[in-house]
Amino acid sequence: MSEKYAYLPCNGLDKPEGPLSREAALLMLEAAGGELVCPVLLARSQARYAKVLGELPLFAVDGCATRCASRLAADHGLAVARKVQIAEALKAVGASVEGSLVPGPQGLAFVRNLVAGLLAAPTPAAQSETTADFAAPVTYLTLTHDKFIFRVPADGYYFNENDCWVRVSGNRARVGISDFMQQYLSDVIFCTPPDLGATIEQFGEVGTVESSKASFEVVSPVAGRVVAVNQGVADAPELVNEDPYERGWIAELELADFAADRELLLDGPQYLEHLKQKTAEFRG
Amino acid sequence: MAETTFMGVRRELIPWAPVIDYTKCNFCLECDKFCPHGVFKRQEGDIKLVVATPTNCVVFCRACAKTCGPDALSFPDKAETTRLIKELRAKGAGA
Repeated sequence: MSEKYAYLPCNGLDKPEGPLSREAALLMLEAAGGELVCPVLLARSQARYAKVLGELPLFAVDGCATRCASRLAADHGLAVARKVQIAEALKAVGASVEGSLVPGPQGLAFVRNLVAGLLAAPTPAAQSETTADFAAPVTYLTLTHDKFIFRVPADGYYFNENDCWVRVSGNRARVGISDFMQQYLSDVIFCTPPDLGATIEQFGEVGTVESSKASFEVVSPVAGRVVAVNQGVADAPELVNEDPYERGWIAELELADFAADRELLLDGPQYLEHLKQKTAEFRG
Repeated sequence: MAETTFMGVRRELIPWAPVIDYTKCNFCLECDKFCPHGVFKRQEGDIKLVVATPTNCVVFCRACAKTCGPDALSFPDKAETTRLIKELRAKGAGA
């Protein structure tokens, strides 16, 4: 990781992970250079960081799932280029730092390892081995509700009731979130794609899409192996808002058994009917 | 609006809803603030939040757990739930 970042830790004081977010940011700053962004000062006066944030990509360091750093960035209209969450990282290695709010040797050692890993990891890059053709033009059906217009592809797409779609081409499929869900989430600030090569069950998690409102788990409509992730949405998460069904795809899978998966999916017109019920209470 | 079926199966037959671990929950209420489906209910007393309407929970949705700082919410196994839904569909357990 040679690129310099502006590090925004949550620096939360009421949970052990908060102070560790600060430690992680300081260690990365020390090792790789960049700038530190104080969350309290940013909340008070964004102008203070206008120059820094204009020059450097933002690295959000959240302590826990409350995601205060990411949400603060979203509230200020700042794009998050990279992020890490201490609680999630702890969970991933089966560790915990329950107890004292003062970072102990165990917590500090964990953060040192975490930072070493982050510094070694390359900036997420596109590793697409796509061979399938997803370029065919899409025609849309629309549902109007109040001031909202929700688009649904007329054909070629299938949906689960979790507002995620799949578009199949041969034994490959792309997945993403529906126009309704992107409008529900509002401005998407970060997409976490699934790991390449991961095997995903039908209805398993195939990445997350985050806005200031929520962190949405993309529920895979199909089972398969992840063969590509969309670098476009990693670089520009707003693509999910702008073009959720085409350029805003999240991941590409090699299908395991689409005929079986299909039984539990809705086609475009069926999903549109489903949306009619769902949107009855939608207020954006 | 409580959805009455999920994938053609009567919703009350699918045991999908969050479980609150009260040894971890700090009653910050972030989950309740987030959930648009009225799954949780706030109340007076020591236990300030309960899962009041589990059938309002969208099957396979775990979004509230992602708002939970102390990691106090858990959900059933997804693969197990999918298997159950398929079984119920085969038996014609629709609305």
